[in-house]
Amino acid sequence: MVRVIARLLPGPSLMFAAGLIAKGYAEVGDGFAAGVIVALAVALAYVALGAAGAEAALPALRHAPKAAVGGLLLALASGFFPLLLGDPPVTHRPGPGEHVTTIGTLELFTPLLFDLGVFLLVIGVLTVLLHHLARSREEAAR
Amino acid sequence: MAVDRGGTRPTADRPGWSACVIAVAGFALCLFAGGAGFSLPWAPSLDLRLAFALDGLAVLYGLLATGVGALVFAYGTRYLTLHLEHQRRPAVERWRFWPWMTLFAVSMVGLATAQDLVLVFVFFDLTAVCSYFLIGFDRAEREARRSALMALLVTVVAAVAMLVAAVLLHAEHGTFAIPELLDRAEPSTTTTLAAALLAVAALAKSAQVPLHFWLPKAMAAPTPVSAYLHSAAMVAAGVLVLGRVHPLLARSEAVLTGLVVVGAASVVVGGVLALRRDVLKQVLAYSTISQYGYMVMLYGIGGAAANGAAAFYVLAHGIAKSALFMTAGAVTMATGEDRLSRLGGLGRRVPVLAVAAGAASATLAALPLTVGFFKDELLFAAAVERGPVTVVLAVVAATLTFAYIGRFWIGLFLGPARGSVGAASTLLVAPVVVLAAVAVLGGVVVEPFARLAEDAATVSAGEPVTMSPGYHLDARPENLMAVAAWALGGLLLVLPRLTDGLSRAFAAAGERFGPRRAYDGTLRALDRVSAAVHDREVRDLRGSIAAVLVPAGLLIGVAFVATPTAGAYMVGIVEGADWVILPLLALVVVATVVTARARVRLVVALALAVVGFALAALYALVGAPDVALVAVVVETMLTLVFVAALSRLPREDPDRFVPGDPVRRRRDVFAALLAGLAAFVALWGFLSQPAADSVSDEHLRLTPSAHGGDVVTVIVADFRGLDTLVEITVLLVAVVGVATLVRRGRLW
Repeated sequence: MVRVIARLLPGPSLMFAAGLIAKGYAEVGDGFAAGVIVALAVALAYVALGAAGAEAALPALRHAPKAAVGGLLLALASGFFPLLLGDPPVTHRPGPGEHVTTIGTLELFTPLLFDLGVFLLVIGVLTVLLHHLARSREEAAR
Repeated sequence: MAVDRGGTRPTADRPGWSACVIAVAGFALCLFAGGAGFSLPWAPSLDLRLAFALDGLAVLYGLLATGVGALVFAYGTRYLTLHLEHQRRPAVERWRFWPWMTLFAVSMVGLATAQDLVLVFVFFDLTAVCSYFLIGFDRAEREARRSALMALLVTVVAAVAMLVAAVLLHAEHGTFAIPELLDRAEPSTTTTLAAALLAVAALAKSAQVPLHFWLPKAMAAPTPVSAYLHSAAMVAAGVLVLGRVHPLLARSEAVLTGLVVVGAASVVVGGVLALRRDVLKQVLAYSTISQYGYMVMLYGIGGAAANGAAAFYVLAHGIAKSALFMTAGAVTMATGEDRLSRLGGLGRRVPVLAVAAGAASATLAALPLTVGFFKDELLFAAAVERGPVTVVLAVVAATLTFAYIGRFWIGLFLGPARGSVGAASTLLVAPVVVLAAVAVLGGVVVEPFARLAEDAATVSAGEPVTMSPGYHLDARPENLMAVAAWALGGLLLVLPRLTDGLSRAFAAAGERFGPRRAYDGTLRALDRVSAAVHDREVRDLRGSIAAVLVPAGLLIGVAFVATPTAGAYMVGIVEGADWVILPLLALVVVATVVTARARVRLVVALALAVVGFALAALYALVGAPDVALVAVVVETMLTLVFVAALSRLPREDPDRFVPGDPVRRRRDVFAALLAGLAAFVALWGFLSQPAADSVSDEHLRLTPSAHGGDVVTVIVADFRGLDTLVEITVLLVAVVGVATLVRRGRLW
């Protein structure tokens, strides 16, 4: 039972995280919380299936380092691109008072990129952490 | 190591030649873009600007740094290849060398053109950082590492004086811009203090007594580094700063006199020590101390003539000294020897090098028909203007120079042949020939050099300077002084015993009482203090926690005693949701006590988790759902990771629990109580009287204008976005740290 849930949970957790990010600016939740929630689902997989089992069941996990680095780069890029336009870092666009295109509660503006970067980074970092703690133990046991 | 040394030519040194091309491009830029400049805001809130201008002084030092740089780099392409071959190191180590060398040249040009005092400081330190890596290039050798550290410490610590001066001047005049500072500064105590601090930084950089001892050590560097460092970069940077802020220095007679004294002392100490050195590069290193002493002395004399002479001197010395260092390097490469006592009679075997080195030596010794003649002519003229003391000093200086450089050249190229000579590479000789040709050319047509020096001196004197160096066949004081110097120098040359004792006594005194000892002693003492503190802090985790908690508790205690307490602490009323909060808080207390008393690690982890979840529930109840959400998910993750990490520890044995030293246990309890009480008092006081206009109101007010409804998200992503960026970067760094500790750096 736990194993079945552990296999299936990452999917819904991603949906939930997407929801948190989409309404992040309007209501409770942000990229960080969304990232930790997905990572918790991954953690459950590690606990229930073991490192080897979890990584076999969820092959996408091996991209975690890329997600971490890519997320950091995305966040840094969205933070520092205003420098190219002559603004201080972390100046978000559109500016105060300007119109923001929205799809439901999802606002299309640069903080969204920032949030996505944080989200990816948190998933990546925590997954790598779990991987190391679980893997090294299995390796030691062998 | 499978380095093929069987006659195949090594691959071309591409990074070296790239550095050379960059230097040539910089040379062209300095030559043709004179007068250009730009100024961009850097940190407007701190009043800092990226202000650069290619004025006269910048052109002079820029041309020197790039021109000598290009030749030294060309020389270095060959030298470094041979050097790495000799040491059986792979050719790829070039990449540890040329980027620093290029940065060295770039930061020197940046320093020359910078018009902002903080910017000057940045480039000043940048040259020191470059020199650190270059001097320590042979990092397998202990001496090289020590020397690199010494150069870095002496010059960088002294450079702090420059930063202090910049802040002082900014406080007084409200700007870091050098032209404006020079305009606004009036003779005052602040000006004198700032000028003295600037001078200290510059003098340490220019290796002046008593901070000269790092320079002879720095010859541990590969020869191209020494050639560049002594002539056009590092050491020249100090004099450059003196020239840049000279109008400020001239506001204080005391500072100027100080410069004369330090300069004269350096001339004598450097010159006398250079007389008896045996290692080629050491002779030249002490000579550099002495030569920069001349320039410092000239800046100390002040006025138009002396400023012009100093600028001219930098140019002439840079040309000669780089050529002489490269000569020493070429000789060592060809013979494998680096001591005068084991070399001799090379004149017939490497005639081209002998002639070129001869021209460079003549330049340093100020013989006619070289550009060096005029440097001494201008020096003598400035000395005569100042008075009899400086006249004597100038003649002594020129005498010493003549004697030690004469000994250097004669010892190398004349006399009985000693040492076996291998093939001298063309690329190791050609740059020396080019520099020698420039020096002789300057001895015939001095005009272009004089114009360069004039423009530079106009900046540093703050008034138009005209110079007209030339040959005059009459008995004017300059000529008489020159002849006297040659005669006395010649006497020292033929009667070395006159100076043997003096030089040896100097060296012995320097060993025993010199600043080197102070440096070593300071370093050792600092090491001991650091080791002691580290020992105390690391040995005992509780100790290091107490080191934070106890002072914090004491400070709060002091604040508690010092401020009025009437009405500051209130007990509120319990109502509504508080009835849920109180049991949660009780749960926190219980869990905390369990944490402190538990003897099984797992229980500690779980009890801490209880504390965390109870607090998360509290956040939800007091209207911070965002924080509550993050707290819950993070607490879950943290507990998991905590338990996972604990499982890696060796299995614990509850029976072997050691209660520990009772004194220490009492101490721990005391520290915990103190810190806990202090935190309690502080929080109680704060909650009794929340600050009236806190920043959070502002955050709430501004949130809609950031297109947000949730203030926490907006703070994280927008208001304090830069903090978030730094924090997430730390996150990645931390996980790399875990990977390094647990799995030797493999990220997956």
